[in-house]
Amino acid sequence: MFSYYFLLGVRSLRRNPALTALMVLTLAIGVAASVATLTILHVMSGDPIPHKSERLFVPLIDNGTPIPDKAAVAEIGDDKMSYIDAANLLKGGHGERRSALYGFSAPIEPARKDLPAMAAQGIAPTRDFFAMLDVPFRYGQAWSEADDKAGADVVVLSRALSEKLFGSVNPVGRRLRLMGFDYQVAGVLQSWRPVPKFYRLSGGSGAFGQEDEFMIPFSSAIRHETAPKGMKCLTDREPGFQGQLGSECTWIYFMFETRSGAGRAELQDYLDNYAADQRQLGRLERHAKNELFDVMQWLEFQKVVGNDNRLATWLAFGFLLLCLVNTIGLLLAKFSVRASEVGIRRALGASRREIFQQFLTETAVVGLVGGGLGLSLAFGALGLIAMQSEQLSVVAHMDWQMLGAAFALSLLAALLAGILPTWRACQVTPAIQLKSQ
Amino acid sequence: MEIRPILSALLRSKTGAILVALQVAISFAILSNALHTVHIRQAVAARPSGLEDESSLFYIQVRHLKPGGHNEQLAAQKSEAATLRAVGGVTSVAFTNQMPMSGRGSTYSLAIKPIQYNQSAGAAFYFSPDSLVGTWGLKLVEGRDLRPGDVVETDANLGFEAFPTSVLVTRALAEKLWSGVPSVIGRTLYYRTGAHVTAPQVVGVIERLQSSSAEVGAQGEYATILPMRLSNGSSTIFTVRAEKGQRERVMQEAEAALRRSAAGAVILRVTTVDDDRKDRYRADNALSWMLIAVSALLLLITASGIVGMASLWVTQRRKQIGVRRALGARRIDILRYFVTENIMITSAGVIAGVLLAIALNELLVSQLEMARLPLGYLGAGAGVFWALGIVAVYGPAWRAASTSPALATRSA
Repeated sequence: MFSYYFLLGVRSLRRNPALTALMVLTLAIGVAASVATLTILHVMSGDPIPHKSERLFVPLIDNGTPIPDKAAVAEIGDDKMSYIDAANLLKGGHGERRSALYGFSAPIEPARKDLPAMAAQGIAPTRDFFAMLDVPFRYGQAWSEADDKAGADVVVLSRALSEKLFGSVNPVGRRLRLMGFDYQVAGVLQSWRPVPKFYRLSGGSGAFGQEDEFMIPFSSAIRHETAPKGMKCLTDREPGFQGQLGSECTWIYFMFETRSGAGRAELQDYLDNYAADQRQLGRLERHAKNELFDVMQWLEFQKVVGNDNRLATWLAFGFLLLCLVNTIGLLLAKFSVRASEVGIRRALGASRREIFQQFLTETAVVGLVGGGLGLSLAFGALGLIAMQSEQLSVVAHMDWQMLGAAFALSLLAALLAGILPTWRACQVTPAIQLKSQ
Repeated sequence: MEIRPILSALLRSKTGAILVALQVAISFAILSNALHTVHIRQAVAARPSGLEDESSLFYIQVRHLKPGGHNEQLAAQKSEAATLRAVGGVTSVAFTNQMPMSGRGSTYSLAIKPIQYNQSAGAAFYFSPDSLVGTWGLKLVEGRDLRPGDVVETDANLGFEAFPTSVLVTRALAEKLWSGVPSVIGRTLYYRTGAHVTAPQVVGVIERLQSSSAEVGAQGEYATILPMRLSNGSSTIFTVRAEKGQRERVMQEAEAALRRSAAGAVILRVTTVDDDRKDRYRADNALSWMLIAVSALLLLITASGIVGMASLWVTQRRKQIGVRRALGARRIDILRYFVTENIMITSAGVIAGVLLAIALNELLVSQLEMARLPLGYLGAGAGVFWALGIVAVYGPAWRAASTSPALATRSA
């Protein structure tokens, strides 16, 4: 019976085409708007590293200027770490793995004569970074522990930069002139772009910005006195790079990996003890709490999903609600002219239940068509949004999860809209209907 | 007017009327909040940066692969500026360390007393050995511009051993630091307090200059300009004003001239101020356009809903209309009936919409830090929806009024 009702529903699309078209269009626009905004929100607030986001922790220590009032509780107004603390925590060796990194821009002089000197965006992490974040390699591998210790001049390239500089060959072992020094290529990454870029949210191009083009050891960048991109100094410092290393200026991202999520309490204790020790030495005079964030908390703390995106999503759902109410009205109109048809069916023995099924199936057909159209509109809208900027093109992507959700949403919306008109259609009294004919 | 019969007719078949009123209420709530947000964002994006005629300005960021020592760097800065000034169509060139609205720049914590624990304000840190006031067309509202004699040459690696003794501040910053003071000329501004105190005096106040991040609110216009030529700084930028309409050509020629004159490899990045402005306000503009699109669709869908329901009623009441016409009602009476009915329904929707709009705004204020909705929007919104209702219902109502009484009463 269902397939027959379904066929009837498809046929009834052609009955009263203007009204049906309006209904389908209304539903499609509502679905498109809500799906497009929801997709962006979904990608932006997604977990960039789902299998271990609860075991990666970002520590924050307050390096701010002391407040004369000792009782005042300071709030951390910062998202990075000073070199002193980063170096100490690296040396401390707590946790399964740990990594310090900072971002910078460096000039590259390609060996190929046809390429001019260029500026590239890179990061200087410690070796554990690659294992902690499961960074995929295309050629070669991460540099060794010894390279980290020695501050060796080795570099890992992104796939894009490697292809630009060396073509499609494996460049491991080749040399590259970087910041005026000869670096040896240790590895080349696969295309790797965690969204959001949780290991370096600010500085550079932000949470949804471009890929980092190369990586060199943290110790090598320090040895060559490479200036960081984005540094905050709340206290006075000595001049020069050595002065920067010895200062309370913050410019380094730090991350711990623990064996399990339960390692958090232990890590917090460790951090608190560390800060207490430093206070003994006369540092960290603001008695602020030492914070620890896992990946999702970190994204929340850094407000990666802007209020604008939430606003857009809320309004889009309000819009979908309006489309629903509108569809209810249109369905009422469409069904009301079919009272005589219902009367005859009822008189011939159909139960109310059967009428209900028939009309609801018909609504579902409208929902399917509207949903299908809505999805293609949503793809169009996302394409338009992606053209706005590189940041948006990263987030305006539909995955299978969202595709399914979108389709369920449109069907559900149509069925919800269909309930009242269908119920009203069932209320037709066959006797009166037949008499008036 | 015959409000009573219309009302009792409405009360007998409520569903359709409620649906229409609900649509009006929902779109009213969304529309007023959306347009209010658009208005705020557009106002933010239209703020002046302080730079005069931005479309004639561009800048070149210069990076030498082998920059050399202090003296070589200063010499290179001077010769590069001279090279740029020689390019045809260039009216003015100035060195700067950062550009307003560019998103890349530094701020400095300022104090107004030699010993102070908390900063008085954080302000954008501009410096130049040339006249930024001249090149950017900044307006001096008090005092004088910086002079070549004020310029101090220093090395960042040695920690600003020499520091300028004069400084320009923006009016917004002056008000923040010394609010209520009639003239701030001659006041001392502390860049560093304590042992290595660096404290230039204010020699002039400029009307406005935005910081590199152009924050919303007064903070976005806190800026200082120091007369300084620096080696080993974080960036070397030449900002150039071209003759009107010549910018594209001048940009190309300026880049080529710098490349020719540079000793050794050099990386140049040429950007226009227009591009920076577009990037800075991209999110605001994108949101605005999205909201405008949603608002237009809202109105369209609400109108189609009204048309749909009104058409349905006209069809259902064809016979009654015929009877009324036969009993002597004129066309205008029928027309007036439907329009009045619609106004009543729309009004109910508007009243519900006002409450819904305020509730939605309350939610946005508390959850998303949005601004409170001014009452004017509610009034304007009510007007829009009344007008929309009348326009939408006019078609079906006219069709009803044109019903011929003879035909309408004859059949079924």
